Amino acid sequence: MSTVLELDGVAIRFGGVQAVGGVTCSVEASDFIGLIGPNGAGKTTLIRMIAGLLRPDRGRIFLGGVDVTADPTAARVRRGLALTHQIVRPFREMTVLDNVVLGAGRAYTSSPLRALLHINRRRENERAMEMLASVGLAGTERKLAGALPLGQLKRLELARALAVDPKIVLLDEPLAGLNHTEASKQAETILEVHRRGITVVLVEHNLEEVMRICRRLIVLNNGIVIGDGEPREVMGDPAVHDAYVGGGMVNHADA
Amino acid sequence: MYYIDLAVTGISFGCMYAMMSVGLTLVYGLLRILHVAHAAVFALGAYVTVLAANATGSIALGFAAALIVTPLFGMAIYRLLYEPLLSYRPDVPMIASVGLLVLMQDAFRIVFGEQGVTFHRNAFSFTTFDVAGVTIGAVQIALVVAAAVIFLGLHLFTTRTRIGVGWRATVSKPKIAASFGIDPIKVRYLNFAIGSALAAVAGGLVALLNNLVDPGIGFVVSYKALAIIVLGGLGSVRGTLVASLVLGLVESYGTIFIGAWLDRDAIAFLALIILLMVRPQGFTGARTA
Amino acid sequence: MSAYTISIVSIIGINVILAVSLNMISGFCGQISLGHGAFFGAGAYAAALVMVKTASVPLALLAALAAGSVLGIIVGFASLRVRSDFLAVTTIGVNFLFVGFVRKQSWLGGEMGISGIPSTGLGASGNMMLILLLACVIIAFSLYLSRSWMGFAFRAVGEDEQAATTLGIGTGAYKLAAFGIGTALAGLAGALYTFFTQFITVDAFDFIFSVMLMAMVVIGGIGSTWGVVAAAIGLTLLPEAIRFVNDYRLLVFGGMLVLVIRLAPGGLAALVHSLLARVRQA
Repeated sequence: MSTVLELDGVAIRFGGVQAVGGVTCSVEASDFIGLIGPNGAGKTTLIRMIAGLLRPDRGRIFLGGVDVTADPTAARVRRGLALTHQIVRPFREMTVLDNVVLGAGRAYTSSPLRALLHINRRRENERAMEMLASVGLAGTERKLAGALPLGQLKRLELARALAVDPKIVLLDEPLAGLNHTEASKQAETILEVHRRGITVVLVEHNLEEVMRICRRLIVLNNGIVIGDGEPREVMGDPAVHDAYVGGGMVNHADA
Repeated sequence: MYYIDLAVTGISFGCMYAMMSVGLTLVYGLLRILHVAHAAVFALGAYVTVLAANATGSIALGFAAALIVTPLFGMAIYRLLYEPLLSYRPDVPMIASVGLLVLMQDAFRIVFGEQGVTFHRNAFSFTTFDVAGVTIGAVQIALVVAAAVIFLGLHLFTTRTRIGVGWRATVSKPKIAASFGIDPIKVRYLNFAIGSALAAVAGGLVALLNNLVDPGIGFVVSYKALAIIVLGGLGSVRGTLVASLVLGLVESYGTIFIGAWLDRDAIAFLALIILLMVRPQGFTGARTA
Repeated sequence: MSAYTISIVSIIGINVILAVSLNMISGFCGQISLGHGAFFGAGAYAAALVMVKTASVPLALLAALAAGSVLGIIVGFASLRVRSDFLAVTTIGVNFLFVGFVRKQSWLGGEMGISGIPSTGLGASGNMMLILLLACVIIAFSLYLSRSWMGFAFRAVGEDEQAATTLGIGTGAYKLAAFGIGTALAGLAGALYTFFTQFITVDAFDFIFSVMLMAMVVIGGIGSTWGVVAAAIGLTLLPEAIRFVNDYRLLVFGGMLVLVIRLAPGGLAALVHSLLARVRQA
């Protein structure tokens, strides 16, 4: 089964606005998708619905062929989903290592009873160290997450998401707030994640990096899909061009 | 007739709850803090009213004194307790507030005695009017009139005066208000001052009603006030007024039905808990959690 | 051992169990509960009723555990729906409701309480030993819990629920677990209290008592088992040792709560921690 994620007519309305209006698409295991569009297009809303943080008014969401529309986030994570947040949410009172170890311990935390009966963390500690090294955070393990600067927090967010051993990761603006060098490095790391066989759906405004690393672009405008396909083709589409020119999107890394 | 009596009691209590609770909802609306110690402010208002009235022989002066002292106390609580704790999660100032309340209640007991204080000369508690066969106390009337005047006054203040409008703006959109030159710090002090003054009025009137102020006066009312502000929708003055009146009436009539197995004072909490389970955003749904 | 000492040690043991169990809910899992007295009371009353009917100690203990946890899980469901400070208000409400309800029920003794509860047969020192034994077991359990994956998940839930769910942690289940466990233990403490006093009135389980328990947790250092144990011992002994404190108990406790939060929010545990850190550096 190579369809990892499927959306069928997913829509949601808030405050009188149709934030997302009936999105249908299919994501294959090998995909590396850039979800782009002007500000307010509904990208984060869509991601949050896929993750289970928001319930759609209509439509269905399938993970690995299973209908997860009614499932809470934690259940979707157990099915192989991972998410990073646009505004990072590290556990500031815990060490950098512990943040990632918690993710790595997903099997133990799946039920309170299970969690109560297990105390050993050696394997998870090791995996977490590897994960931190792979995102370039080796050496920061003992620091309190609250003490890290934004660039490192973004990488921690990624490491933590990878620690749950996902099949698909939803990355919500992982490059936002990073300077040119940091953004490039982070993009490389994400590319590496994809090479390891994990499906990536990336929401980003940083078009330079998106064009470089994504294999498929989905363009959202006013809550509907207006473009889906190979990056160059999609960017060449006049409808997409109009959406951006009208929509005030930024073309480079911006806070 | 009995039912009308209950209605009178219910409405006058409701008015008292409203004046007491508005301060609480105002603080929540502005700072997102549950100002449990507001009960101590209320109690202080009651004590000052009685003591000043006794010292000067005039109940009016008693109220005046309370209206001066109590807002100062309320503002001091903000400055000394809440301001330094604003960066913590909201439970922290709340627990501190609870600690302060417990401390103050005991302080009142120690300073003013377990038995409390009473007015030396108080004609009001016992003055009643007979209106179409229903007995209505003078203090009950005072409660309703005071509440009406106050709420109307608040409404006019926040819609017709510059300071009032600025205050409302700061509560709903602090950053925008600040960019118009409205000082958010001054607004905070104003917030506490007004809320505390209202509690003082409520306290003084309760003192008149019962002809007694004892150390426990703040306690039960304060927890009811918490229930009221949630029921009314946090931060909503109108909601608080509605919820207060409803609670007053429900308590009055409710004791007929459930007085057998539940204390009158617990009714407020029962209502609160049921509501929170069914509608976590309160009656009017204003300012959800 | 004098009767007085046995009595004090028994109370200390009970307060330690209460504080440690509250720490599991509010410290480890971050769910502020200002109604812990109600669960203590539920356990005490359940045990009292069982003892009066059957004088069976094991049955009374079980009934107390059950009463505490059933009430606790119901409150736990509240935590799934409302934000932290509202949860605190709900727990205050639960305390008032419990007291208000019990006061009116004649089968629960109403205002007069339940008296003449049969003794456990262990005698005063026997009861004390039982209390100390259970306190030690519960402290050990709390330390274990803190180190386990459950404690780890609790901390995540307490800090940021949304982030916790994205790591596969079912926050609702964990909150219920925290309440269930913490309140069951509070109920157990209630049974021990009933065995000790053989006479209970609902005033012992009021909101003020709940505030004192929260004071022990905050002063000890929210989240730290040892800190909370130390604070429970200290705050129970303080009124006994210092007459002034006994007369002005609430003033002192309220004052301490305010001062600790204002000046040393991490409580004793944090102070000791930073002291040790400075010693290590020196």
